[in-house]
Amino acid sequence: MGDNISRLLADHGPAFWQALLLTWKLTALSFVPGVVLGAAVAALRLFPLPPLRGFLTFYVEVFRNIPSVALLIFIVFALPDLEFVIDYEPSVVLTLILVCSAFTADYLRSGINTIPSGQIEAALSLGMRPARIIYSVVLPQALRSVVQPMTSLLIALMLSTSLASQVPMPGRELTALVSKLANDSAAGMAAFAVAAAMYVATGLLIAWAGAALDKKVRILR
Amino acid sequence: MSRSLEDTLFGAPSPRARTITQVVSVIAAGLLLLLAAGIAYRFHSAGQLEGRLWQFFAWPTTWAFLAKGLLGTLQSAAMGAAIALALGLVMMAGRLARPRILRWPSIAAIEFLRGTPTLLLIYLCFLVLPSAGIKLSTYWMLTLPIALSTAAVVAEVYRAGVLAVPRGQTEAARSLGLTETQVFFTIVFPQALRYIVPALVAQLVIVVKDTTFGYVVTYGELMQNAKVLIANYHSLVPVYLVVAAVYCLVNYGISRASRWLGRPVH
Amino acid sequence: MPIKTVLKSAVAALAIAGSGSLFAQGAPIDAAAFDALVAKGPVASAETIAASPWASKIKQAGTLRLGGTQTSNLFSLLNEKDGKIRGFDAGISQLLARYILGDGAKIQFTQVNSSTREQVLINDQVDMVVATYSITPARAEKISFAGPYYTSQAGVLVKANNKTIQSYNDLAGKKVATQAGSTGPAILAQFAPKSTVQEFQTHQEALDSLRQGRVDAYVTDYTLLLNTLSLGTGDAKLAGAPFGAQDPYGIGLRKGSDGVAFVNAFLKKIEADGTWARLWTISIGQRTGSTAIPTPPALP
Repeated sequence: MGDNISRLLADHGPAFWQALLLTWKLTALSFVPGVVLGAAVAALRLFPLPPLRGFLTFYVEVFRNIPSVALLIFIVFALPDLEFVIDYEPSVVLTLILVCSAFTADYLRSGINTIPSGQIEAALSLGMRPARIIYSVVLPQALRSVVQPMTSLLIALMLSTSLASQVPMPGRELTALVSKLANDSAAGMAAFAVAAAMYVATGLLIAWAGAALDKKVRILR
Repeated sequence: MSRSLEDTLFGAPSPRARTITQVVSVIAAGLLLLLAAGIAYRFHSAGQLEGRLWQFFAWPTTWAFLAKGLLGTLQSAAMGAAIALALGLVMMAGRLARPRILRWPSIAAIEFLRGTPTLLLIYLCFLVLPSAGIKLSTYWMLTLPIALSTAAVVAEVYRAGVLAVPRGQTEAARSLGLTETQVFFTIVFPQALRYIVPALVAQLVIVVKDTTFGYVVTYGELMQNAKVLIANYHSLVPVYLVVAAVYCLVNYGISRASRWLGRPVH
Repeated sequence: MPIKTVLKSAVAALAIAGSGSLFAQGAPIDAAAFDALVAKGPVASAETIAASPWASKIKQAGTLRLGGTQTSNLFSLLNEKDGKIRGFDAGISQLLARYILGDGAKIQFTQVNSSTREQVLINDQVDMVVATYSITPARAEKISFAGPYYTSQAGVLVKANNKTIQSYNDLAGKKVATQAGSTGPAILAQFAPKSTVQEFQTHQEALDSLRQGRVDAYVTDYTLLLNTLSLGTGDAKLAGAPFGAQDPYGIGLRKGSDGVAFVNAFLKKIEADGTWARLWTISIGQRTGSTAIPTPPALP
């Protein structure tokens, strides 16, 4: 098995490296906008406008509960019939952004609930407007208190980039590469081992970074 | 009694604030209606509202067919979840065991299964194992990877719940002379359940979502049946929309059911 | 015997008929005629079955485990109302089931696609695969083929208003869809190496990608392209004549299986007594508006 792997890396090393980079790229491209969008949704949900709250709750419930593959298939295969033709890689990124934003909004909501209302009252008495309060008092503390679930979300997102193997994208990420190697050659087991190692290593790295960040910014109440 | 954050932030509005809120609400509602109308118009102009694309939904055979697919989904999900719950317990026990020889393999297994995508594990069962001589049925090619992947997550959920139970309880139970097993099953685990159940339900939803990969191994579940309908009626948008809605409703139902279940526990 | 010329003229007739739009608009298969044809199919004698271990095993099991598709309009489409699969491929497999077991319905069906066809045979999940399965040397290394029971060439499908692509020669630099795991990628590598190839898991997805403008052309087995034209929506057309080598469709069996001889004998039988021709008419001919019945390919 050991020399299977070394032979595989000799033949396909660059392909694995490219695939890993693509995985990281898709993860980053979906996580950042996803979190920003989720934070916006969480903030807007605080406003006492029933239609807005209802719509945002609907948004969160839909994108939390829909399977990512179903969403991706809808975007890639059905949206063009509605005259929205989105290319494959942006479709994958869009799918992940929508799902990430829904989970982020949910985690932030519980994070927001940990903030003592005394702080809000104090801010109000200082004459701050609600929007300002949300922006400078509520969101920063909420974000600091949800680092742990957000780390899990980032890892889950990274693993979800395997979705990209289901659409005919020009580039191959790790899962697509394993599928191709398993189909075309006998090196399936070795390819799987290498890809799995890369995924696990990335996940552990993120978890370690997340734990360190959490310890630093966590608010002890 | 503490008020929710929103109430504190926006509560007790002056009459002027209340009017502003009402007006903005109406405007917001108007904008949302406009959005809905815009979507409906886009459907119409793209020809997606034509009768022939929707008419088969009026036939009970169509729904019976989709229900069969949903049954396939649920069969795989239920078995996967059951195995995961049991296996996760074993893995957690290994993880918390004192001898290193039990602990390290458990940690390795958990980190490996948690850290790889379920789809990759499915490809392993489907493409790689057969050449090693291990042949599974389509059902197990989908259910086994899901079960293993979920078991690792469940093991960590159990562990977090168990560690969250105050140590004092364990110490008191031991001082009363209970054996370790009794301590675990009668004192620690029931209290840990309170923390565990919400996370387990969240995992159950993920299991249902993972079953959509059934088409990769050509297992007959909801997604696959959707494709048959599309091949028969060439109705992409309506079918995928309805199927997506079914998935959302099922998962939403599971989450809701858990909230209802979770209340009497403590 | 110039089978090739007969086939070419049949195919040319189809092309002429195909580039028009005079078909029945998406004519569904004549279910009654199909079911009647299967019910009248030949049944093997006990000695014939006993002579073949593969067939005996199936007879003992009581069902034929089949790998096929449910979503191919001309060849194998599941009617969700009565739960029956009908089409040319479906007909072949149901006739074979009747031949061995006396009843064309005793089939245990497993859905396969281009990526999973070999796997299900290697895994022994099915006894045979009938799914517009082209016989290629590469595949023949992993599994065995009975037949061929049909031949087709590759064709290029483009949108009706496409004036730039006249044949496979014009595909350089264009986005072309094809089916993953089919002969499409190899054909494109040979005849249109400068095109950008996108591989899809199913025929339906590739067709939709053409319709939605994600690709400029769709290259696959010519007969599958007749599928779109049989729907008569008129917004696609064939670019140029069929090209490439004659693509034989075979029945996939496990490597080294003795079923190959048995199935070939069965195919000879239905081709001789006219069942093959009748099946072609019901599942393909009537629905693509062509009347020239092709000659079945020669069996080894």
